[in-house]
Amino acid sequence: MIDAAQPATASTAADKIVARDVDVFYGSFQAIKNASLSMKAEHVTALIGPSGCGKSTFLRALDRMHDLTPGARVEGTILLDGEDIYSPEADPVVIRHRIGMVFQRANPFPKTIYENVIYGPRIHGERNRAKLDEIAERALRQAALWDEVKDRLHRSALDLSGGQQQRMCIARAVALSPEVILMDEPASALDPIATSKIEDLIGQLTEHFTVVIVTHSMQQAARISDFTAFFHLGEIVEVGPTNQIFTHPREKRTEDYITGRFG
Amino acid sequence: MGNVVHPSARSVAATSSVRARKLADGVATVILWAMASSIIVMLAAFIVYMVYLGWSALTPSFIFGMPKQTTAGGGIGPEIYNSFYILMLTLIFTVPIAVAAGVYIQEYALPGMFRNVVQFSAESLATIPSVVMGLFGLLVFVYLFHWQFTALGGALTLTLLNLPALMRVTQEALASVPDTMREASMGLGGTKWQAITRVVLPSAIGRLTTGVVLIAGRIFGETAALIFTAGLSVPFNHPYDLNPFRPAETLAVHLWYTHSESIVPDVDQIGNGSALVLLIMVLVFNVAARVLGRRLTTHFTGRSS
Repeated sequence: MIDAAQPATASTAADKIVARDVDVFYGSFQAIKNASLSMKAEHVTALIGPSGCGKSTFLRALDRMHDLTPGARVEGTILLDGEDIYSPEADPVVIRHRIGMVFQRANPFPKTIYENVIYGPRIHGERNRAKLDEIAERALRQAALWDEVKDRLHRSALDLSGGQQQRMCIARAVALSPEVILMDEPASALDPIATSKIEDLIGQLTEHFTVVIVTHSMQQAARISDFTAFFHLGEIVEVGPTNQIFTHPREKRTEDYITGRFG
Repeated sequence: MGNVVHPSARSVAATSSVRARKLADGVATVILWAMASSIIVMLAAFIVYMVYLGWSALTPSFIFGMPKQTTAGGGIGPEIYNSFYILMLTLIFTVPIAVAAGVYIQEYALPGMFRNVVQFSAESLATIPSVVMGLFGLLVFVYLFHWQFTALGGALTLTLLNLPALMRVTQEALASVPDTMREASMGLGGTKWQAITRVVLPSAIGRLTTGVVLIAGRIFGETAALIFTAGLSVPFNHPYDLNPFRPAETLAVHLWYTHSESIVPDVDQIGNGSALVLLIMVLVFNVAARVLGRRLTTHFTGRSS
């Protein structure tokens, strides 16, 4: 069998999230089989693989987003800084505060840009207006959106372009000051210019955050990630430093996929 | 495939078959336009005729005056007041219950027995004719509770009558908010309640307002349920009373009463005037509620529409 749990290289970075023997079921269908993966702090880990391989399902398990999907069940262990996020004491609200999520399609609330960005801090109890203003500005700067929207913070976020909306959603996740940001194909609905802005942004985010990103674009994975995990039919086939995966894959299936023989 | 007639390969001009299809398209467009326009014409004709009949009756003494039992020249002041008073009372009961029940069914209840029973009850309530509901109100509020004819009894009866519709509207308004909104809130560490109060309900406020306007129109126009519960009279010494335990004849009921039971000589005059005032009230309430709905939407979403 495949030994995906074994760390690909001796990296000095600490493990931020460690998944061990994770299975995800939708009813009787097993979408993820025995997946093990370590995600390094302040690095970008890319999850690649053909459509339906389970990479998004795996990503959502890291944030307990399956909790409210009827019939979905997660088994195995997922550790955040060594603590099991599926243990009975673990609270999904706290976990999702520490782990932010950016979805495939930009999903701004039908509110102003400002209200969108401070939504997270506000629902977690921050009421001080000056503090919220500060958080909003910092998050929008980190998402490289501040200069474009600073004069229209109190206009609807729905009036932004698709690429701006997605960066605003990143700002909204960043505003929570999470430790990890999960991204589910964040650029798949965007044009090449907006995509490259998002990619630049992801590189900068690793200064403060651990990033795990699902992408169907191998070029994107190669450009932005430090580590890559290749998923196929619900299993992690191979994981390693990105340049090694793309230049010297150890598994035949990985090589077939990245050379375009299937997918 | 062999039946398709291809245009001549050398010409771009319409063939007879293309001309025939275009003619059918044109005829269909005209007919559909005429049907749509007929709705505008019917409404306009109705309003013009109502205004023509009722206009002369609209004097200050009619609009603000007291009704008379036997002589000509009675007004409808207390009836207008009662219409709004019962509307407000009814909305105070209906809106919280209907919205809360709709939120529960749509956002919280898992498919199962309880949800089915609530749905079935609401649908059954919705099919009860208003006159039957009026008799129920008569038995319960007037006789059983010994309230006599009261504004409160009328409002509670109308609440029963309108709950299912507003609950349905709430469910549909909530269903129209995409799940990605709930997911986004959850992904930021929000609880279900926070998603509902901060994102889902504010997004649904426009549709909810429309639903409230629709049932308000029905409440203004309701007669059968009120005849048996709120009565056919107004307290003469204190007609503009906030006390809910007093008879409260509404304008729609007054319109029915003058035409069917009353012995005043100016029945037609009062009937036409009352009908026109009722029409204006419904229109004013409609416009006001829509303006309010738009304000709320702008307030919550940062933009209009």
